[in-house]
Amino acid sequence: MKPADWLVLIGTLAAIVVYGVWKGRRQRRLAQYLLADRQLQWYTVALSVMATQASAITFLSTPGQAYTDGMRFVQFYLGLPIAMVILSITAVPIYHRLKVFTAYEYLETRFGLPTRTLTAIIFLVQRGLGTAMTLYAPALIVSLVLGWNIHITTLAIGVLVIVYTATGGTKAVSWTQTHQLLIALGGMAVAMIVAIRSLPASVGFGDAIQVAGHMGRMNVIDFNFDFSTQYNFWSGLFGGLFVALAYFGTDQSQVQRYLTGETITQSRLGLLFNGMVKVPMQFFILFVGAMVFVFYQFVAPPLFFNPLQSEKVRASAYAAQYQVLETEHQATFAAKRAKATELVAAMDAKDSAAVERKTAELQELQKRNDATRKEASALIRKNDPRADAADTDYVFLTFVMQNLPTGLVGLLMAAIFCAAMSATASGMNSLASTSVVDIWKRLIQKELDDHTYVRISKAMTVFWGVFCIGFALYANQLGSLIVMVNKVGSLFYGTMLAVFLIAFYVKHVGGTAMFWAAVISQITVFICAATMSVAWLWWNVIGCVTGVVAALLIQTFVRPVRTTVHAE
Amino acid sequence: MTIPQPPILRTWPRLYAAVLLSLAVEIVLFYALTRSFF
Repeated sequence: MKPADWLVLIGTLAAIVVYGVWKGRRQRRLAQYLLADRQLQWYTVALSVMATQASAITFLSTPGQAYTDGMRFVQFYLGLPIAMVILSITAVPIYHRLKVFTAYEYLETRFGLPTRTLTAIIFLVQRGLGTAMTLYAPALIVSLVLGWNIHITTLAIGVLVIVYTATGGTKAVSWTQTHQLLIALGGMAVAMIVAIRSLPASVGFGDAIQVAGHMGRMNVIDFNFDFSTQYNFWSGLFGGLFVALAYFGTDQSQVQRYLTGETITQSRLGLLFNGMVKVPMQFFILFVGAMVFVFYQFVAPPLFFNPLQSEKVRASAYAAQYQVLETEHQATFAAKRAKATELVAAMDAKDSAAVERKTAELQELQKRNDATRKEASALIRKNDPRADAADTDYVFLTFVMQNLPTGLVGLLMAAIFCAAMSATASGMNSLASTSVVDIWKRLIQKELDDHTYVRISKAMTVFWGVFCIGFALYANQLGSLIVMVNKVGSLFYGTMLAVFLIAFYVKHVGGTAMFWAAVISQITVFICAATMSVAWLWWNVIGCVTGVVAALLIQTFVRPVRTTVHAE
Repeated sequence: MTIPQPPILRTWPRLYAAVLLSLAVEIVLFYALTRSFF
């Protein structure tokens, strides 16, 4: 990076931290520190909810997915708007009326203290690991592409987040997130404009979409039903609905965002805005990836986008074999570029027969190119069996570093750092809330004054920040852990959702029945995950349905219990 | 406790319907985009 890029990056990050500390100053009461005094308007709630979900990996990995696999990943979000409507009708009024600080606090009123404590602990474990990964994954990618020390990158992001999250609490987190999300989306828009403007003069925006489409990158919707396919319309709509219900309805990192709304109306509007904007936003990020793909039809891409692995194999006993693959890759690229130019000419001439012919030829070359990349990946794995043989995550950042002008590189790096910081801040903030409200204040010291709880909350934020940094540094030694931690949420979300659904809607089910139903549901999900080839999105559905059915059945055999607080 | 109506579209059911309608429109547009190339 050039000095101008450093100036933009450091200036942006410093401004965010100073703004966060300033915005969150003078917080003396727990409701102020953990819920921004329940004073936020819908637009802050909406952007905060969106920024919490959109981590740096969203902006780094998603374009890479469009590059390699097309735009079908957008289907994962199709259930989200439905979930926003359901939660606006149900969860938002219940949480607001009970004036809870955490989602798990509500469960005590329904099922008793053990269920509250159990769900809070599951959340702390799951979100603690998840937040560490939110910190680690972008630090790894940025460090590899830029040649930075990963420990320093992780520490830099982590410490900056701790500074404003610990001092300013939820108010600082929510307000900084609104700016961070806008910077991240602005950065993506700039990258897309550069990708399109860098195409040859004969290739316009419409031509770029056509080329992407002919090359299979506009595969947005797939109605074919298949349990083992990760992303199709049905898994996106139903699996995605359950994931979104569980994530936004039971995960404190999200619940805390909309609990900050001034009224039920403000919280609802925030969630509904997210429901309207999320799918187009993900479409846009994937579209940027599709445009990067078109860009690389005319400008030579590297054979393998992960620079560390490429260098390692070039310095190994497989160097000669890798060199052969690189030569093959260059030759195929030259042929592809010529064919893509001919395809655009045929499209402009409206010669449909030629378009069909050139498309088939270009697709054939793409298949050859994919085969070469697969061989390179196999060679990398042969050289280092622990190496990450997928380079999807590195596509977008490589494009940014090699093709964006000075200054804009700094802006894109700031965008990625902002996204990493916003998701990490929400994680730390919610971990501190649950630790204080559900564990410390409920089980350890019940009668302290508000100001002391605020101090404990600040200490807890620092504790979880240090935990996440520590785990992120340790994760460097455990490459395959990232995938595991990403899926671990879906192992528990179904059961958590079942507990909350029963709590909200089935008043006659008591704590005993729910506890055993949760155990059965969790065991069922573990068995499915271990023995069946079911895509992980379905684990959420299986866990939730099993939990609800088991709770209803078990309740018929146990004595009915009276509940103290009911959902409406 | 009564919840005030939303500042746009007058009632909550209408606003919910608008969110779901926007999803339906997106699905139709995405399908049209996909179909134009496959």
